[in-house]
Order: sequence, then structure tokens, then C-alpha cells
Amino acid sequence: MKVIVNDRELDLPPGTSAIDAVFQAGYDVPYFCSQEYMSPIGACRLCLAKVGAPRKDRATGEWILDEETGEPKVFWFPKPMATCTTAVMEGMVIDTKCQETKNAQKSMMEFTLINHPLDCPVCDKGGACELQDRAYEYGEGVSRFDFDKRHQEKHHALSPLITLDRERCIHCKRCVRYFEEIPGDEVLDFIERGGHTYIGTLDDGLPSNFTGNITDICPVGALLDATSRFRGRNWEYRHTRTTSTDDSSGSAIMVDSRTGRIERIKAARHTRINHDWIDDGTRFGHEYADAEDRLKTPLIKKDGTFQEATWEEASAFISDKLQATKNVGVAIRADATLEEAVGAAALADHLHGTYDYYPKTPAAITPSATPATLDDVATSNALFVLADVTEEVPIVDLRIKDALKGVTPPEPMAHGIPIADLRLKEHMPKKTAILSVAAPYQVDLMKYAGRTITYSAGHEAALLRALLATAKGNTADVDGLSIDQNLGIDQNLGIDHELGIDQDGLSALVKQLQDNDDAVIVYGGWVLASAEASELANQLAKVTGSKVLPLAPMANSRGLEVIETATGDVLEDASALILSNLNPARASHFVNHRKTLDLLVVHDTFMTETAELADVVLPAKTGYEKEGTVVNLEGRILPLNAVPVDSGTSEDFTGLVKALGDAMGTRLAGRSVRSARRALKETLGFDLADLPSEGMLPENLPTQHHGRPASSEKSANAVIVPTMSRPEYLSRNPRLQIAQGALALRVNPADAHKHGLTAHERVKIDVSGVTRRLVIKTDERVPAGVSLVPAIAEQPCGLARVDFASARPDPVMPVPPVQTDAGTMTAEVGD
Amino acid sequence: MSDAVADKPQAITSRHDARYKVTLYEHVGIDNAWTLDYYLEHEGYQAAKKALTTMQPDDVVNEVKKSGLRGRGGAGFPTGVKWSFMPKPDGRQRFILCNGDESEPGSFKDRYILEDDPHQLVEGLMIAGYAMSATIGIVYIRGEYHLGYDRLVSAIKDARAAGYLGKDIFGSGFDFDIIVHRGAGAYICGEETALMNSFEGLRGNPRMKPPFPAQAGVYGRPTTINNVTSITSAVHIIKHGAEWFASMGTDDSKGTKLYQVSGCVNRPGVYEMPMGATFGELIYDFAGGPSEDAKAFIPGGSSTPLMPFTDEYLSAPMSYDGIAKKGSMLGTGGVIVIPKEKCLVNFMWNCVRFYAHESCGKCTPCREGVATWMPKMFQKLVMGRGEPGDLELIENMSNNIKGTGFCVHADAAMWPIDASIKYFRDEYEYLIANGVSKYPRTTWWKD
Repeated sequence: MKVIVNDRELDLPPGTSAIDAVFQAGYDVPYFCSQEYMSPIGACRLCLAKVGAPRKDRATGEWILDEETGEPKVFWFPKPMATCTTAVMEGMVIDTKCQETKNAQKSMMEFTLINHPLDCPVCDKGGACELQDRAYEYGEGVSRFDFDKRHQEKHHALSPLITLDRERCIHCKRCVRYFEEIPGDEVLDFIERGGHTYIGTLDDGLPSNFTGNITDICPVGALLDATSRFRGRNWEYRHTRTTSTDDSSGSAIMVDSRTGRIERIKAARHTRINHDWIDDGTRFGHEYADAEDRLKTPLIKKDGTFQEATWEEASAFISDKLQATKNVGVAIRADATLEEAVGAAALADHLHGTYDYYPKTPAAITPSATPATLDDVATSNALFVLADVTEEVPIVDLRIKDALKGVTPPEPMAHGIPIADLRLKEHMPKKTAILSVAAPYQVDLMKYAGRTITYSAGHEAALLRALLATAKGNTADVDGLSIDQNLGIDQNLGIDHELGIDQDGLSALVKQLQDNDDAVIVYGGWVLASAEASELANQLAKVTGSKVLPLAPMANSRGLEVIETATGDVLEDASALILSNLNPARASHFVNHRKTLDLLVVHDTFMTETAELADVVLPAKTGYEKEGTVVNLEGRILPLNAVPVDSGTSEDFTGLVKALGDAMGTRLAGRSVRSARRALKETLGFDLADLPSEGMLPENLPTQHHGRPASSEKSANAVIVPTMSRPEYLSRNPRLQIAQGALALRVNPADAHKHGLTAHERVKIDVSGVTRRLVIKTDERVPAGVSLVPAIAEQPCGLARVDFASARPDPVMPVPPVQTDAGTMTAEVGD
Repeated sequence: MSDAVADKPQAITSRHDARYKVTLYEHVGIDNAWTLDYYLEHEGYQAAKKALTTMQPDDVVNEVKKSGLRGRGGAGFPTGVKWSFMPKPDGRQRFILCNGDESEPGSFKDRYILEDDPHQLVEGLMIAGYAMSATIGIVYIRGEYHLGYDRLVSAIKDARAAGYLGKDIFGSGFDFDIIVHRGAGAYICGEETALMNSFEGLRGNPRMKPPFPAQAGVYGRPTTINNVTSITSAVHIIKHGAEWFASMGTDDSKGTKLYQVSGCVNRPGVYEMPMGATFGELIYDFAGGPSEDAKAFIPGGSSTPLMPFTDEYLSAPMSYDGIAKKGSMLGTGGVIVIPKEKCLVNFMWNCVRFYAHESCGKCTPCREGVATWMPKMFQKLVMGRGEPGDLELIENMSNNIKGTGFCVHADAAMWPIDASIKYFRDEYEYLIANGVSKYPRTTWWKD
């Protein structure tokens, strides 16, 4: 459609909003209420402009022509139009420079400012504030309002993580719409009306995994991230765009640091992954990086006590010890970068040892069926989810909700993502019928699912086998399917109940997958915990013509399959160990095994239980400080950029490889990011140094997988479940812990009673041989006879046995109280 | 041509015309008129029966179109045209939504229909529902109308029991039932899209248009929203025919309408008159004339610009066009006569506070202008703290607010202010100059 903005003519598709036409033309109008990826509502009225369009004669169907020029005559609308809610029309003329437009915008700015406090000098948003910028550009500079401004609460804690300043609010409604439209958790709304309108919640707090995003989209300093409030001004921050290693989504984040500290994390835009959103675990889970007890220098144990040393001394000590040792195991955690993995593999190779990573799932992450991207999920019309995505990879949850809108995600225009996508509306009905969710207990996403399947824990393979049989037309087989009692937790409920779905349901689900070309099967840790279930899921996808999206357990789990890996279990087999960020010492058998080890080197950020047992402890960088590359769950290669954090002499694993190599007099591949990339160039076929900021999705990523068999738990009574926030760091993220609660053992109230446990009790408890520190939480939604234990790197998703008899009260770990706007708070402590 | 005009009988434009017959309010004020028995004795449900059994839905729409009936809620959009906007039936649920949230100050015409003649509304909804193939009628009734709510609900119950609502009415195959929903006291919920939000249980904010209610209204389904009186007028159009309705009124405003008179008149109340009758006829012949010296009157509810109480304006015909020519609007037909001895600035302050209180707070000019700044300015004036320049600021602010709001609430709040300054600028200036009103406040109540 031909549209004229001031003096520029554009050709735009129908349905484009006038505001996007203005920006596309390179002109500007102010706006506060519109927001990319959300519905336009026309509330702030800042984007008013004089708009006109030619008209067709009703009788003849011809354009009405201007008598003087002979061109179609432009009929100006009688009032200035809100360009965000106006769709372009053929021949539309938008004038953003005329006096009428300027007057309208200036007067709207005046109205917006009359009740906005002059807080700018002390406001955290100052310098990065949309209202401040727009007031400079479009405001008058002088106020004619000589009355008292509205006075309201200045420090209202919406949650321990978010503080609301009600005076600063300009009622753009972005936060309210965000909750309704993006995560679908309607936890915020306008209260009162007229000039008294304010934002608030009815219940305490913001029960959602995605609350922090409202602090990013707030156009003023009303909604602020409580972890960073009053910690710095915007121009003092150094902004580093990097990729989150918090989960396997590969979400883009903007890390704002100042004088060697991470002060806050904001979402960065990635049009194919997280749009403008990140989950709260990713956003608020950074405080550990600046924790006081971070390891900053290498430590060598001499006469039973650790003594500070330099890297040279430590690596000389290790190199010395290794000369007498055979069978060295090098193990890293699965959120290490590709470059670190190259270094680890090269080091192991040089020492004639083995390299491995943890957690490693029995099934390969890389699927054998056609892999789905997150955009495939967002545009799918049939989704089958076998996981608790909201906790496992929360961004996938948001992309599933994109699909429920029934509107494809907007494609970027020349000026970026459309500011006002007119296809989106407030209170759009959600297409819940396209979503089926299966899990062994009630998961959050089930609220939005047209079909929910609550099977008994451990029966993923049985459920998938029943679906596969149905898809192949062998429905008779389903009735005869025997359930392997050893595989799952048997509740003696009969086949339909064990699977949580009857034959009609199975058939309907399979038909839905078959009928839609864009069907996607999403499966998580519980399926990956069994090679059989994973194979069945991929077969089901092939038979029904669906794509699959496996939820990788950690940030680079998918990527580490690129580097060849060892078979067996390094932790069990090796006689000397170099462990990076792993903490196996909570398992009693490792403590025994330690006694037989010649050398234990632990590379970690904190003095963990395993580090206590080590001969040498080396300080490690966190995921924020690393430079490198990770591969997210779709197989997209994404860059990590180093944030300047004061972490002493901490090094990532490539630094460790370099130090050890130097001590041993050799130059190992992977001794630096650059050298690792040289090695990776051969495997990948391109240089990672050339990776664009949004990464790239190669068609074929070379992969190898030597699955480590799952520990066979014969008499399981618990499910290991994913959590949004990193469990290993949760106790050092005090605010996040207050908001989310400590790591919990969730049990049915009846079971708690049976085992003599009370809610909120802190216990040390044995879970399949690993001593866990957990808080008891009773929850009606947890099926009787099953308890839920949060996953850690050493204990990934799957089944486990909780030894209730081993429960011992856990002395309270001293955690400093946190001053929040809701008062002084102390977190419950777990793990 | 001139012959044709001569042949055509003169349109009825006065209640004094012998041919004029009261229809909408025929049974108002009569004991037990709200019962089904009374209604049936007085040709009740005959119009609905005629429509459902002898006419096609499109015929009903055309009949209403032909009658020239325009929306009685205030905006005056042709009702038949609105009905024809409904898309073709496509299997989706369709709604006819009746706006009984009568909250415009000065308007109280629907109240007595709801209280004294609720079956008339039930019958009207049946006809409208049939015309648009909408099987569910919704009445959104003002929360304060308790008696009206009780009477309407019992009327619906009786009608249902007698088979006038439910399945296969009159053997026509048409199913229809009515839901009654009470408002919670928000003026803005009389705006059609805010009304739909409120009905759905959402915050009473106006919605974006397009999509218009006919495309996506209540719960995203095709919906038509009409005022109580528009719907009840349809009963009489079907009963007496479109020609009868069109024989009353002026060229652009046909039919009969309910006018309300309040303020300083001897007999305030609701008067049914043909369109095109003059204010003079209403105020002097029916309302008994002003009870004290009047200086101004509001022609159609508080949001319409007031007019001076002079012969020039009193002789204006009460039709959409006739009042527009005088710079005001017909609105709901709620006439408020303002006495000479009352301060007009004080009067406007009352209006301004009303609109400030009722702003929903969604859009900036309304929340900050109508609901915050304007009442502060008026408060300043009536407290005697006015300064030179304040009046100009009010005028300028009013210009900035008009035409920029999301819905028409902001404009509606500004029109009466503009008119009061236009006609009674001297009162404002006197107050600003002297700090006291030209007409100081006296006791509220007459002795």
C-alpha cells in the first residue's frame, strides 16, 4: 500500500500501523504505551498525528479527485489520530511535522508530566528513561500546572524483586498487558480509576516466573529491579551483551556492570529466541557472581589446610603430581563453553586420560527426528509437551504461549520489530486446543492446555509407546501394554490411570499431531533420562510427521555433543580427577572414592563440599565472565562475551589448560579461546570469531553421543524435577531465594504426615545416595506416594529414591538478611 | 413537485397535534402495568408475534431502517443501519446487548420503562434479536436501578414461564432468552465498548475500535448494542408500521422520543413528544414553565453544551439537526433548566467533578486533564483564588483535551465548559476579578 509520511513515499503491506509507517520512513513520533511484541492500545495518546486519506466515490468506485491537481483528494480526519492504533490505508498521508501534530503531541506531553515527580536526579531510570528523552524532544520545558502533584506510595514492594514507585507511573499499561499477553499470568492490574488509578496486585507478590521483564519495558522509573535499585546511574554502567548460561535457551542478556560488579541483568533482544523477555532466574540470579566468599586465588592443601598460591605454583604442583599418575579424568559441567570443552579434551588427551562432562543424559540431546526451532514452536498448531517447561527452560514456555495467540511472531521491519502490531489485541482468546501437556504432576503450563495428561512418574516410555502404537494403528497393543514395574512408580491404578489418558485421548492427540504439518513434540529431562523414551519420542515424531524440541539440561549440553566424549563414568573410573564446577562430594560413595584418588583438582567459583576434599582448588569464572561459544537447545551457536567482573585471578577452563600446559611445557589446543576456535574451525567448518551477535543456526552440527546409562533406581519414590533458578547458586542469590523460596522437597501433605515431616522444616536427606539440604513443602498437587526433588548437575531429571528415614534437621545456614521495601527478609536455606 | 409536497400530510412535530399518540410511555405510571397480565391485556407481545411469524429477519431490519429511527442513547446513529452491520450468521453465538446503564446527569427516561413497563423491553429485545438472529439478549442495567432490576427480572421470569422466551417462540423456530447484568456505578460503562468489558468481568475501560462490536463484541462474538428506548421504539414500529413512525418528526429525525426535564421547572418529569417539537413547548406547555428566573438550559444531558434561556434557543426544534444548528446536541433529551440566581461557575464545577470522578483513567488527556487538572482549576476559581489568565488556561486546556482522548468522555466533559464560557464569560470574569461569585451561594433547598 502506498503511504506518504511527510515527504517520503512508502510501500507497506496492509495491516501495518501508521506509527510503523512513520518509523519506517525515518521520522519519529513519541509513544509510551506501545511496545514491541505486545498489543497496541492507544492509551498514552502521545503518537497523535494529522492523518488523511483519499476516498472512493460510493457510486462509481473511483477515487475522488482534487479539482485543482487532478490527483486523488486527501480527506484529513477531523481529529488527530493515534498512529499506533490506526492501520495504513491506500494513499494515506501522515503529517508528523505540521503545527496541528506538534500541538497535540506537546499538549499530551504536558498532561503526562503534570503528575510525574521531578525525581530524575535520584531516579534509577534517569539517563535511560523514555519519558525523559521524549520530554526533551517534545515537551515545552515549562509547566503551567501550579498545583500539588499526585502523592502516592514511593517504595511499594510488588515482590522481593520488584519495587514500584506509584508516583512515577504514567499509566501506559505495558506491565499489565505484558502479564496478560506474554506469560499469561494475570497478576497485575489497574486499581481505582481516573486520576487515582494505580498499578497493584490483589494477592501478595507476583506469582510468575517472568516478572522481571516489566522493569525493562516500564518507560519510566516506576518499576525497578530491586537487586539494582540505587546502585548506579545508567551512564556509569558498562553494558555487555552476552548469552545467558542459566538454561539451555541461549537467551540474550544485557549485563550492566560497574566497578567490577554485576549490578543488573536486562533482557537483550534476540528475535529468534527470547524476543525481549527473560525469566526471573536469568535476570535476578546474578548476585552470586559478586558474593563475598568467591574464590579469587588458587589454593593448595598443605598439611590438611589450604594455602593461597599463584597459578604458577598451583599448576607446577599439579603437573608434579600428575607425572606419577595414570588414568586422569577431566570433567567439566555442561554449561562450559565449546572452547573450554576443546581445552578439557586436549588436556585429557595429553595426559592419556579421559574427558567427560556432567550432567550427561542417557539419551542424546541431538534428536534423530527433525529438530524444531523455537520459531517452529511459536508458529505450531499442534504442540505436545512432555516436560515442565516453565521451570526447565522458561523461554520455551513463552514461545508456546506465542503459539496460543494464533498470530505468527512479527518479522522485523527496517526500523526493527513493529512497534504496534495491529494483529495483537488485548484479551485475545488463547488457542488452548492446540496444546497438550503431559507430566507426572500438575505443572503450570497445564493451565493453558486443552489436553492435560498426568501420568504416574517414570511412565514416559510407556506413554510414548502407547502413542506410537496408536499412531501406527496398533491400538489393540495399547491395552496389552505391560508397564515395567521397575521403570516407574507403580500406583496400581490400571493402565489408563498410569498413563493419565485413555485410548480416545491417545487417538485424538495422535490425530492432532498427524493432521498438522507444523506439529512439534517438546520433551524434557524426564524423557532424556531414558534412552528408550527418547527414542520413542523421536519415532513418534517421525511417524506423525512432527518436529521435536528436546530441552537440554544445561546451557551447552547440546554443544558438548559436538566434541567427542568418553564412555563410562569418569568420576567412578579415574584415579586422578580434574573437576570444573562439579560437586560430586555430596554423594557418600564419592567421599569414599576420594580416598583412593591420587589427586583431586577442583576448579570452581566457591569452596564447595568437593573443593574441601581437593588437593588443589582453582578459582573459576562464572558464565558471565567467560568469552566463548555455546549451543542452545535448538542447535543455534551463540556467543558469550566477557563482563568485567572483579574475580581475582579466576580463569575459565581454557585458562586452566594454559597454566597446566605451561607447567608441563606444552602448548595445548584450547589453551585460549582463540586456539580452541582454531581447532573448532575444522570440526564446524567456520570460524567462531565471525559469529554474528544473534548467533547462527547451522543445518548440520556434527554430533556424537556416548550416553551414560541412568542410575537404575529400583524402588523409586521421587521425581527429580527441573527448577528455573540455578540450584547450586540459589543460596548466594538471596533476593531470588526470598522470592522463589529455597530448594524444596515437595510432598503430598499425607506423605509428610506419614514420614513425620512438617512444612517449612529444613532437613538433610538422602536422595539416591546424595545428601541434599532441602526445605519441606507440602503441596496438594503432588500425587501421593511421590515426592519432588529439584535437579542439580550431579542429580539430573529422572527418578530417585528419597530415604525419609535419613532425614535429619539441618542447622540454619547463616544467610545475611536482605533489606527490601517490604522490610527485612531472610531467605529459607536449602542446598 | 410542489403538488407532491402538498399531498403528503404534514409531519407531526407537536404533541398538541391531534394525530399524536403516546406509545412508549402509554402504560407508565399505571399500577400493575409491569405485570404480564396487564401487558397481555394491552396488545402485549403482538408486535413480537407479528415479527416472528409473518416477517423475515431482513424485513424487520428494513422496516426499522425505513422508519428512520435513530439511536436514543445520545449519538443518534440510525438504528436500522446499525442492525444491518451484523455479519451473516456463521454459526457463532450472536448477542443483542441493551444499554440500560442510564447515567448521564439529567437523563431518567429508561428508568420508568424498566420499572413500569419491563415487558415492553423484553418484547423489543425479542424483535431485535430476531432481526439479527441473535439468540441471547443482554440487559446491562444501571446498578442503582434496583426496582427496575427487580421488575425486569420478574418480567423475564413471567415471560419465560408463559413461553414468550425460550425455545421455538410462537412456533417460529426462533430461540431467545435474556440475561440481566447489573452495573456497579461507573458512568463510563455506558460507553458501548466499556460496557462490553464490564459485562465480561473486565475493567470498565473502553476498547479499541475497530473491530466494531458487530464484528467482535461480547466475548469476541457479533454484538449489537442499543439503548433501552431504541429497542422499545422497535416494538411500536413493528406494531404500527414504519410509515406511522416516519410520519412524526423532521426530515432527519423521525418518530417519537422521550424528553426529560429537570431543574427549575414547575413539573419536572419525562414527556413523550414527537421529534421536532420545540423546547418552548416542552418547558412551558408540559413542564409548567420555569419556577424561577432561568438563564440557561442544557438540551440533552450534562455532556451537551448548554444554551441561553432565550426565545431564539427555546424555539429551536428538538431534533438532531435542529439543535446542531444552534451549536449543541440532542443527546439523551435530558433538559436541565438552570436558574438565574445560581452561579454558573459553581454549576460547572459540579459537572467537572462528575466527569473527573467518572474518568476511567485509561488515556492521558482524560486521566490528567479531565480528572486532575480541570477540577483543580475550577476548585481554584470557586474558592475565589482565580487569577487573570486562568480562564484562558482553561480554554486552552479544553482545546487540548478535545479530540485527543481515546473515547468521547473527554470531549463530553469539555463541551459544556466551552459553552458556559462562550455564553457566560462575564460570570467567570466577575469571579476571577472579585474573588466572589456574581451570584453567591444561597441555601440549596427552596423553602
